[in-house]
Amino acid sequence: MLSTTSCLANVNCREKMPTAMDEEERKLQRLKAAVHYTVGRLCQSIGEDHQKEFSRQVIAAIAETTFRQCDIFAKDLEAFARHAKRSTVSVEDVKLTARRSTALSNFIQRKSEEIASANQEQRDTRKKIAGKRKNKDTEMV
Amino acid sequence: MAESSAEITFKNETVSKLLSSFFKEEKTKVGADAVILMAEMLHVFVQGIQTLTLCCSEAAQRTIKQAEAEDCDRLDIEHFEKILPQLLLDF
Repeated sequence: MLSTTSCLANVNCREKMPTAMDEEERKLQRLKAAVHYTVGRLCQSIGEDHQKEFSRQVIAAIAETTFRQCDIFAKDLEAFARHAKRSTVSVEDVKLTARRSTALSNFIQRKSEEIASANQEQRDTRKKIAGKRKNKDTEMV
Repeated sequence: MAESSAEITFKNETVSKLLSSFFKEEKTKVGADAVILMAEMLHVFVQGIQTLTLCCSEAAQRTIKQAEAEDCDRLDIEHFEKILPQLLLDF
């Protein structure tokens, strides 16, 4: 993002490749807006719980911090996956980013188990449906 | 708005695109389950900041009240120390 700002100041640079930079910038802005939206709703909700209000400045600051934290997360995740000689970030990589706090680690571990069991349930349900169909077909013959 | 903060989450698509935009290499992707888990991480992250912010504002407010009760113009560490035990219990 630093390079984009310095490029905007230098008109020549802008003229050379306008479209690619703008598209990238717009995409980033949309993502920032999406983060800001969810952070705003979370702030409103937790504010109501404590009968307090988060100012627009604070919400913007938290959104910006979260956005930047994603950058750190992403770089770490990419490094972990690469270390394991994978190009796809896995659940194990995510667990590693939570390693510094025991409470967070435990929380993420529980969540990953919930996701795994939910997937298993889906697979079992699909098997049941497929099994029933098979029986129907053989009966009709 | 009666939505509990537990129900408000970052959309999986947003999380996925967000992470992808920060990857240094184009070939790096994020698995479906990893996206869901990262959404949880971000959720906890935001809640953490919010709790700290509320905690700080509450600490500041109570310290001011303490100083006022003692008819002091300056906020000193003693005022903060006096309100700290209850603050920690409350949070």
